[in-house]
Amino acid sequence: MKRSQTGVLLGLLCMTIGFLYPGMPLQAADDLAPFTGLKGSLRIAGGTAHIPVMKEAARRIMSFNPDIRINIAGGGSGLGIRQAGEGLIDIGNAGRRPTDTEIAKYNLKLFQWAIDGVGVIVHSDNPVRTLTSAQLQGIFAGRISNWKEVGGVDREIDIYTRDESSGTRKVFWKKALARGTISDRANVVVSNGAMKTTVAGDPFGIGYISIGYMDATVAPVSLDGVVPDLANVRNGSYRVARGLYSLTRGEPAGLARAFVDFLFSPTGQQIVQDKGLIPVR
Amino acid sequence: MTPGRESAGIMGDRVVFWEHLFRSAAVICGLLTLAIFCFLCVLGLPLLQDGHLLSLLSSPWAPARGLYGIFPMLLASILLALLSLALGFPVSLGCSLLITALAPRRLRMLLIGMIRLMAGIPTVVYSFAALFLLVPLMRTLIGRGSGLSLLTAAPVLALLIVPTMVIFFVAGFEKVNRAHLLALDALGGSRVQKIIHILLPGARPVLINGTLLGFGRAMGDTMVSLMLAGNSTAVPSSLADSARTLPAHIALVMASDFDSLEFTSIFACGLLLYLVTGLLMLLMRLPGRSPDNES
Amino acid sequence: MTGQRKITEITVTWFCWLSGLLLLAALVILVGYLIRRGGPVLGLSLLFGDTPPLDALLLRKHVFDGLYPALAGTLLLVIGAMVLAIPLGIASGIYMAEYAGGRTKAVFSLLFDILAGIPSIVVGLAGLSITIFLHRIFGERIMPCLLISCLALAYLVLPYLIRTTQVALESIDPVIRKTAPALGASRLQNIGHVLLPHSLPAIIGGIILATGRCAEDTAVIMLTGAVASAGIPRSLLDQYEALPFYIYYISAQYTSPDELATGFGAALLLLLLCSALLVLALVLQRRLTIFLLYR
Repeated sequence: MKRSQTGVLLGLLCMTIGFLYPGMPLQAADDLAPFTGLKGSLRIAGGTAHIPVMKEAARRIMSFNPDIRINIAGGGSGLGIRQAGEGLIDIGNAGRRPTDTEIAKYNLKLFQWAIDGVGVIVHSDNPVRTLTSAQLQGIFAGRISNWKEVGGVDREIDIYTRDESSGTRKVFWKKALARGTISDRANVVVSNGAMKTTVAGDPFGIGYISIGYMDATVAPVSLDGVVPDLANVRNGSYRVARGLYSLTRGEPAGLARAFVDFLFSPTGQQIVQDKGLIPVR
Repeated sequence: MTPGRESAGIMGDRVVFWEHLFRSAAVICGLLTLAIFCFLCVLGLPLLQDGHLLSLLSSPWAPARGLYGIFPMLLASILLALLSLALGFPVSLGCSLLITALAPRRLRMLLIGMIRLMAGIPTVVYSFAALFLLVPLMRTLIGRGSGLSLLTAAPVLALLIVPTMVIFFVAGFEKVNRAHLLALDALGGSRVQKIIHILLPGARPVLINGTLLGFGRAMGDTMVSLMLAGNSTAVPSSLADSARTLPAHIALVMASDFDSLEFTSIFACGLLLYLVTGLLMLLMRLPGRSPDNES
Repeated sequence: MTGQRKITEITVTWFCWLSGLLLLAALVILVGYLIRRGGPVLGLSLLFGDTPPLDALLLRKHVFDGLYPALAGTLLLVIGAMVLAIPLGIASGIYMAEYAGGRTKAVFSLLFDILAGIPSIVVGLAGLSITIFLHRIFGERIMPCLLISCLALAYLVLPYLIRTTQVALESIDPVIRKTAPALGASRLQNIGHVLLPHSLPAIIGGIILATGRCAEDTAVIMLTGAVASAGIPRSLLDQYEALPFYIYYISAQYTSPDELATGFGAALLLLLLCSALLVLALVLQRRLTIFLLYR
């Protein structure tokens, strides 16, 4: 008893000192420490669902050490996998697991640092908030073309989909649409962010985004009675889930290694949580 | 001035050196024009060989089914360009006539300044503003759809090409024979008569060339159609449909796998656009029309 | 007859005035909207975000949430592209105006017109092709970067410079053109001491307009190295941000009304930049003409 009490007191003392220390909390300083003295630039590209976390991590690292430059681009999971594999970028982001062919061809090393889901969204004024799988597949295939067929207003449904490089699209197509067709009359947008702003601006639109991106500007639609939110992804009742991966060609070294380690560090995982995703640790 | 070599003298070698320099510069630029064509052909080869050419131009875009046809994009490009010309040509004509013949002096200066300003506005700025102004409006006006369609992109594209066409037309009108205009004034003709009987007939080649120029510009612009036309891959069945133009296709697909046939299709698009440009330039040179009065 | 003529008169007059009015209205609405939504955001925080301006300018700290990297990227792009394009363009223009003749001139003229008409996305595509080629030959570290974008942009504005130089030289009064040779000067001396200084205002005007074209282009840089967040490029082989690309990117991917407002700010900034260049070109041309001809 006594020992644990002293231990707790000591711990509290350390934490207080740590918080009083000018600059940052002890924990964060620890996690950023590997970046001291490092220089150079890091190129990151790929999945757009990863971008909020990437940006925040980059911000912290670059503020800590201004000699480091981190470039972040989107482009979709396909681009992330391919460019990482060809050595065009240092770290690629993918929202779907690379296929075995891809892993073998490029000698990819995978790092999954978050779990995410893909949910259907509509405009916040749209009364339709729940759909069955059959209805969803019908809508995206173009068979169901009017909102009134699923309980909404009498107006044509505007379908929005992602480009073919998108991991979000792949996961959605495979798990939510059960590999059904997506009508070629759908409007194509290029990222999660674009999907969100477009659906938020179109009262008759329907689309799909990473759950981490959902906010008050759009309304999620439950699939077969299950609401797409983190809790349901965590407990497994919402099936349309996926891991968020970062990939490197071969084992990462130097700056890339430090960055990947940072993502798994307590600070990194806290950022993941703050951005609306499920951390793996 | 007739070209030819300068007589050699103390300055001879230096003169010849500079002449060679200038000539090399021009040759390099000329070669660059051809180089692009070669690059596009080489990189588009996988899709062009084996008689794929015809299917490329006529089949729909469905990579999942192995179809890499760019017909929907070609159709969308042409429709959009024609539509924006239909909107833009009358306005350009009216404005250029206004500037040349109808407006009082001070207003003319103002109008020319305004046109020049508009010619300098970046296309991305036009598209950005239209995205938030025009798209919701079109959604309500058309009655269905997301507001992203050919019909939305056309007025913005028209706005883009009008300044270029106006400058071109105005320059052309100014080259019309002054003597004729003076003669009309001497006979007591009105300004409108000047327009109808002298300016328009006299500048007909300019009008045609300017229209071709506008058409080329409309087909080649990327940002307007990328941001406003919806980018769906279906063949547009009506003007209110979402559609994808050739340049927008290039911008969207460039992120895909280098080695895939999808990616190669963008070179086919590029080649098509290049050939259209070349064709338009040749058309502008048909006998009777000189390309010299360009801005 | 007079009745019918009256109707024609009225129709034509109305048509022309309406066109002008329509155009003016479109311009006012566009610029007004941009000012209304972008005006409130203009200020140091738009450029530098949370970082103190001095630290950002001295490159001591990175700027997040600010337009400074994009502005710097655009600036570097423009400088790089113009450094490459100006010598080549002016030299070619001189060749076209002074040395080329007959068939050669016609061929080059066609080639340069095609160069001028090539859509910017195709130029970007060519840049991408070059990157791929170099990547295959030289391996790893070649990727889309500032250098390639500068090359591609130089390619884009080359025809403007060639044509401006050519037209400027060709419009010189024949009397002036023949004076120096009559006194025994070589063609080269004529060009260097008489023709070029005379056409310098027009050429400089053309240079500034080409600069504006570089600053506003989106399609080319999209394919050759511009990314959404990269900071200030430290070498030619780095990726970079640019103002027009930022506008495009933000238009679809803003995550909050504040970010959207920065998009409007950026659009307004770009608009002001291009307009300023335009005005500069006009003013400089006028001043230089006076200075050069009446000193």
